[in-house]
Amino acid sequence: MSSEPIERRVSYIGDKLRGSRCSICGGMYFKPRDYCGSCGRVSIGRMEEFSLFFEKGKLETCTIVREPTNSFRKLESFIYGIVAFHNGKIRIPARLTDYIVPRENVEISLFEGREVTPRFRRRYSVGPDEIIPTTSLTFTFIDEYYPYQHYEIIKPNKIYENPGIVGYGFYTSRFRIKEGNMIRAVPFLDEDSITATVEAAKWALIHSAIDHSLIGKVYVGTESNPYAVKPIASKVIQVLDLGEKLGNGVQGVDAIDTEFACKAATSMIKDAVSLVSYEKSNIQFTMVIGADNSQSSPRDSPSGELDFFVGFGAAAFIIGKYDVIAEVEGWYSATSDTADFWRRDGQRYPSHGGRFTGEPAYFKHIAKAASKIMEKMSLKPSDIQYFVCHQPNIPFPVRVARILGFKEDQYLPGLQVGRFGNIYAGSSLLGLAAILDVAKPYERILLVSYGSGAGSDAYVFVTTPQILSKRFRIEKFNVRYQAENKFLQYINYDTYRRFKEGI
Amino acid sequence: MVVYSSIIGVGRTVFGEHYERNPEDLIEEAGLNALINANIERKDIEAIYISDYFLQITNKIGIEEGFLAELLNLNIPMERFRSFSSALMNACLAIYSGRYNVILVGGVEKISDRLDKIRDDLMMLYDPWTYYSGGTPESSHELMLREYIKTHNIVDKSYNKFMESLAYVSVKNHKFGSRNKYAQFYGREIKIDDVLNARCISKGILGMYDYAPPITGYPSDGSTAAIIANPRIAYEYSDKPIHIIGLGSATDYISYTLRPKRIGFKSVELAGSKALGEAGISINNIQIAELYDQSTIMEMALLEDLGFCDYGKSWEHIYNSYVENKLYYELDDGVLYVNTNGGLKADGNPLGALGGAQIFEVISQLRGVSNDRQIKVENELKYGLTVELEGFGTKAYVFVFRGD
Repeated sequence: MSSEPIERRVSYIGDKLRGSRCSICGGMYFKPRDYCGSCGRVSIGRMEEFSLFFEKGKLETCTIVREPTNSFRKLESFIYGIVAFHNGKIRIPARLTDYIVPRENVEISLFEGREVTPRFRRRYSVGPDEIIPTTSLTFTFIDEYYPYQHYEIIKPNKIYENPGIVGYGFYTSRFRIKEGNMIRAVPFLDEDSITATVEAAKWALIHSAIDHSLIGKVYVGTESNPYAVKPIASKVIQVLDLGEKLGNGVQGVDAIDTEFACKAATSMIKDAVSLVSYEKSNIQFTMVIGADNSQSSPRDSPSGELDFFVGFGAAAFIIGKYDVIAEVEGWYSATSDTADFWRRDGQRYPSHGGRFTGEPAYFKHIAKAASKIMEKMSLKPSDIQYFVCHQPNIPFPVRVARILGFKEDQYLPGLQVGRFGNIYAGSSLLGLAAILDVAKPYERILLVSYGSGAGSDAYVFVTTPQILSKRFRIEKFNVRYQAENKFLQYINYDTYRRFKEGI
Repeated sequence: MVVYSSIIGVGRTVFGEHYERNPEDLIEEAGLNALINANIERKDIEAIYISDYFLQITNKIGIEEGFLAELLNLNIPMERFRSFSSALMNACLAIYSGRYNVILVGGVEKISDRLDKIRDDLMMLYDPWTYYSGGTPESSHELMLREYIKTHNIVDKSYNKFMESLAYVSVKNHKFGSRNKYAQFYGREIKIDDVLNARCISKGILGMYDYAPPITGYPSDGSTAAIIANPRIAYEYSDKPIHIIGLGSATDYISYTLRPKRIGFKSVELAGSKALGEAGISINNIQIAELYDQSTIMEMALLEDLGFCDYGKSWEHIYNSYVENKLYYELDDGVLYVNTNGGLKADGNPLGALGGAQIFEVISQLRGVSNDRQIKVENELKYGLTVELEGFGTKAYVFVFRGD
């Protein structure tokens, strides 16, 4: 049985790899402490907190654990070792993740001496009624799938009239399953929608280069939160230190999870935009993240058709008025009470209405929201360079794009479902991220989400010249990089189901 | 020279699985054996110092002392410690202070009563962050091994020799253990290929034969006891009391990763030099040593930390013994026998009772009553030493013994 206070303390330190630095001798300690072991009493009050979360380290020594302790059994085998930061000034124990250890002998020395970066993951297995333990004492090699990009805070230099996207990040794992014409992203055993959310938010922060303490509200839209009650957003603000520090581990920031099937996140963009526009809110930046470890029952059970399409990942967007890369020009939403896809409380997997998820649900809402916003803003399809919408499979978004009068060069850049699968609440946002990766200044993007239940949010964005000047910070880990990375690992169906269920 | 106390009797049980017996039954057997060996009566005991690591967890026993009071019908002072060596050290100091004349020191462990969860429980001997990162009872040993290999640049041919010498530690200890009727692996000799093959099976750096119970999956239950007395009165009870002439203990950080010294143990270095300094002898005088061989690399590292060998050199001495098929190590200044009871590897390691088995062996050897395990040295067999660790070198206890 996990202890709530212990879990709070361990995750507070371990999720962000917090430590203390002695301002007298420069000595560094993993785990915050009140005085320096070398300097003694004089150092009291002169210790500074630091974090290793955005750093890279070196795997100094390691071994293979093939017979883990009970709590780690589901991971089977993994590499365990010592990671040194700041040239050995600080060392921490580490588990390597995202690596399937081969059954045969492995040459340990091939791993030693390589650079690694912390990854936010589940710590180990616990019972279904317990707090989910998390950690960042898990690492991956920076010369493989997940690169290292320094998080640099730069003072913004331009304020825009309209708020918009200031930074964004998309994250999915290195594992894929390939079936037919679909390649789908699969979480590693220790990943879930919580860890993906934090990863995407981290890259959005890196891309935006804004000060993390200036974020005033975080919205996380998902339908696969492993908790029925307990937000993911609170984890994001803790791991990334969002908002003003109030002491005692409390941040001066608002955080909320939202749920409306696959439009849970897109719905909040207009709220995020409004918040930064309202002078008295005193909020400079907000963050909207759509994330899902998309759920589906196994193939051989009712509603198991989804199992051919579900993906994994998260897309995060920082909204504000400074150094904007894409201004929000307008929005429109449409809603009806259409139960085409649902999951009752206590059920593990969602159910859906078969062919009724198409015509009376998906197509109707997307088409209405898209036509209405174009009408409202007097836009023709030819005024819009990119069209992106919710992508549960390949044919649906293609058909709706054609119905609305968009051509291939307008809808293909955002059509990503064939390379990642349906990321539910992150699906249309993944498409938006892919477009932002390639768009030129002054181009117009129409985004239309769809959430079962049912409704659509339509947004029109227009890019700014800063989309180019800020691009280099996300280039290393943009959507295309994650789709075409040479370290992608393809797994079979049995492994895919096991990874989906996690530890 | 100081004599802290004299050991007048020792007793123990067989180590291994004691499925049908309670921890009280085991301590009773070891205690009675020690009383018989010391030729004293229950009423002569003035205090009891008992040790165990996990009885609170394995058997839900919270106050061990009460069980003993009930068992012995005694109401004398009793204290509980984690390791046998820490109990013995505190008992020595109590005798030395003049407070007591005769103390029973006992240790017991009943690991097999919680076999399914003991791997996770053993991680209590490490820091929690090691556990959170997926560390296992074996992993720190293997990290130390990697650091040793890299620091001393052991490659190619040397690497193979090095790994063979490590394997020989296990072979040698099993050879001794096979002749020890109390040992968990009594009658079970192994060959060098067994150790090497086990490494292939584990597909790791080390294999099952490189580790001692309980981290091999073989639990060790058992109990040990020693009766110690004020040296002034020791001869009233025993013709051949063995004297404790040096004590040393030291600690190190709980987090292996944070220790400045990660090859061998700072704690052993400090405790060893303290104990030898008090005894007024040099390490070369030691003829028999019981070293804490939780793994083969540990026996190797301890030889260096205590000063028997130079850093990075102990494996060469071991390798020579392997090549020449010798059961002792030929050091620069003489011959050293290590773990003649079989060590933790072959005798077994019932954590809280383990130190008692080390002392049992050294006492028996110095008294010359070890039967077919009795070692023969050129001069008179006089000085012995034990090292017991708590955790992965987090605590170290060193005793120096002198025969009568």
